[in-house]
Amino acid sequence: MRFPWLLVFKNLGGRPLRTFLTLASLTVAFFLLCTLRSVLDGLEAGIKASASDRLVTQSAVSLFVSLPDSYQSKIRSVPGVDDAIRWQWFGGIYQDPSNFFAQFAVDHDRLLDVYPEIQVDEAGAEEFLRKRTACLVGARLAEQYGFRVGDRIPLQGTIFPRFDGQAWQLDVAGIYRSTSANVDERTVFFRYDYLDETRRANLCGGPQGAGVYVLALDGRSAPEAVSARVDALFRNGPQAVQTTSEAEFQRQFVSMLGGVPIFLSSIGGGVLFAILLAVLNTMLMAGRERTHDFGILKALGFKSGVVFALLLLESIGLCLLGGGTGVLVSVASEKAVGGAISLVLPTYEVSQETQLLAASAALAVGVIAGVLPGWRAMRLEVVDALRAEV
Amino acid sequence: MRLPPLSYNVRSLFVRWSSTLLTVVGIGATVAVLAGVLALQQGFARLYTDNGRPDVALFLRPGATSEGESAIQRQQAQILIKETAEIERDAEGRPIAAGEIYLAVRQRKVDGGETNVAIRGVQQPSFTIAQAKIVEGRSFTPGNDEVVVGEALVGRIKGCKLGAQIQLNTSPFTVVGIFSCPGPSSSEIWGDVDRMGPILERPNFSRVVAKLTDAKHVEAIAERLEGDKRVPAKVIDEQSYLTGQTAALSWTLWVLGTFLAIVMGAAAVFSGMNTMLAALASRTHEIGVLLALGFKPYSIFLGFVFESLVLGLMGGVVGVLMTLPLHGVRTGTTNFQTFTEVAFAFRVTPTVLITAVGFSLILGLVGGALPALRAARLEPCEALRRG
Repeated sequence: MRFPWLLVFKNLGGRPLRTFLTLASLTVAFFLLCTLRSVLDGLEAGIKASASDRLVTQSAVSLFVSLPDSYQSKIRSVPGVDDAIRWQWFGGIYQDPSNFFAQFAVDHDRLLDVYPEIQVDEAGAEEFLRKRTACLVGARLAEQYGFRVGDRIPLQGTIFPRFDGQAWQLDVAGIYRSTSANVDERTVFFRYDYLDETRRANLCGGPQGAGVYVLALDGRSAPEAVSARVDALFRNGPQAVQTTSEAEFQRQFVSMLGGVPIFLSSIGGGVLFAILLAVLNTMLMAGRERTHDFGILKALGFKSGVVFALLLLESIGLCLLGGGTGVLVSVASEKAVGGAISLVLPTYEVSQETQLLAASAALAVGVIAGVLPGWRAMRLEVVDALRAEV
Repeated sequence: MRLPPLSYNVRSLFVRWSSTLLTVVGIGATVAVLAGVLALQQGFARLYTDNGRPDVALFLRPGATSEGESAIQRQQAQILIKETAEIERDAEGRPIAAGEIYLAVRQRKVDGGETNVAIRGVQQPSFTIAQAKIVEGRSFTPGNDEVVVGEALVGRIKGCKLGAQIQLNTSPFTVVGIFSCPGPSSSEIWGDVDRMGPILERPNFSRVVAKLTDAKHVEAIAERLEGDKRVPAKVIDEQSYLTGQTAALSWTLWVLGTFLAIVMGAAAVFSGMNTMLAALASRTHEIGVLLALGFKPYSIFLGFVFESLVLGLMGGVVGVLMTLPLHGVRTGTTNFQTFTEVAFAFRVTPTVLITAVGFSLILGLVGGALPALRAARLEPCEALRRG
């Protein structure tokens, strides 16, 4: 006897409201699962995309202790190092503290060579070299605040407050795009020499020196060997340093989140558990209501396995449909969700891996939720089943 | 008009126990997630807001938003302490005020990975002001390379135990004591301010902290020093300062909690509605009997809403029970306003409980309204004929 495929679909349509409600819960749950996992992915994105031919040298004591400017030439002469450029976190406020974005003072003449992932048009790159107050602005930041080439961005210094009480003025030389997730498009790069001259002229407060040095390697030595050489150079001070790969450097910021990633994962577990119960409930209801139908099927000569498969397939179909819609919703809303959280998380992407994982989870929920009602239906005696109320 | 016996509705829930159980646990899981996020937010926020005192004044550099970016020259600090008459005096007549240095330093966590721990160079009055007590070992000897660590760091950060050494730049410091104090300072390392200055290359104080004779003086001092030519300073009471430090993380958790509550709540409502619809379908005959006995459709509606509310409430109770074991569980995250790790415990406060139970009742109400309406609209004859 042929398997009654049509019944699977008929049954799903038998209680349209219930099927719709279950599908809606599944959609919501799997949308949430994809979103949570993508957030976790986003936290790691910067680490994964880091360049392997760059190292970062920072103070071994603290993120907030600067390294002397004199370290630059010493690091540059270490075998294996091609170049070393200075980075200094500026921490300025644009109009209001809630407008948060990163600003870095960098060695302008070397930045674009050491970071090929920062793409800026020729005119912008030239202007950046020519004008002391020039800056490069990330495309997403420019979009958010409407910055255009030639605009002037006033920044109130917090770490480097100007003694005249005025804001620092930066002139937008170009809008940059980034080809890799390790550099976001929400940053302002301006010239280290501008900061340094203002500092030396005693026009502003703040620490001397550079926050970190970014080292470009020449590829002739192993990165670990170069790290060890640089660290050894300053072991006895004045500032001990710690040189790590760019990935390690990024990892320290993720590591700071402490229990947050575990916490997000447990929420995902809770969601999955709740949806499993909801589908199981629906399928038990469906099985119970159809007791009489199953009696007829069995009386007609269908094997018990067919009855089992009917419920199992219905459950799987329900979950794949609902879960699939959830995945589609999360993909469709990628831009909207990413935009809403771009301040906290610059990279938000629902990867294919996430989609596949969600689909597998949906399948698993379908199987688990279908087995128990299916097993119950399989063990029904024909007479009892037929006697059940319609 | 009479309501149907509510015990009828409650007992109906137990007749279909397997379905009720699944729904209750499902709603419970939803409520538990919301309650968990709230308990995290409460634990974090209360650590700060409960422990700031309005009569402790902080003097920062004008324009500074946190002590990490603040700097006050030592001579200025002396003038501030000497000339602020509102500062309380101890038994010997000395002002209860201290200049402190603050820096987030790199430390390794016990379970791997790196984090930033606040190190504070303190003076003797700091202990009095922060209500800090040595609970193990002894305090550091001024001038020596010794530190005491806050008890919240013990077991979390490597080197934070009695007798261990903590490397600061080129010098090792010995941990000679463990201190306990209310508030986020229990996640800090304290040492002599005169040793910390040179080691951390911080020639200036980060802040001056003082106990005032009365909380009402803060405003007057703030006004007086805001535009002061000689010693300009931003003055803020400790309570406002600490509350400000939690704003960003509290907001993030609040947004996360609301988002999850709405999204997961929607799923739970759908599932609850399903249960109630199935209940309705299997009880059509009974409703017919109730209607025939003279109960008004309005009463039937209320009875079903009540049943759904009970279902929601049971879910809420289960959810809260699932959350309770979290209470007191210690966790840590970085407060990105100070860039230091703070340890705190989940706290299932009355606010969490009330919100969770209220949320579960809303889920029950929304999920039950439509099925109840359907029940109320049944025609007595039609209903009696069924089943």
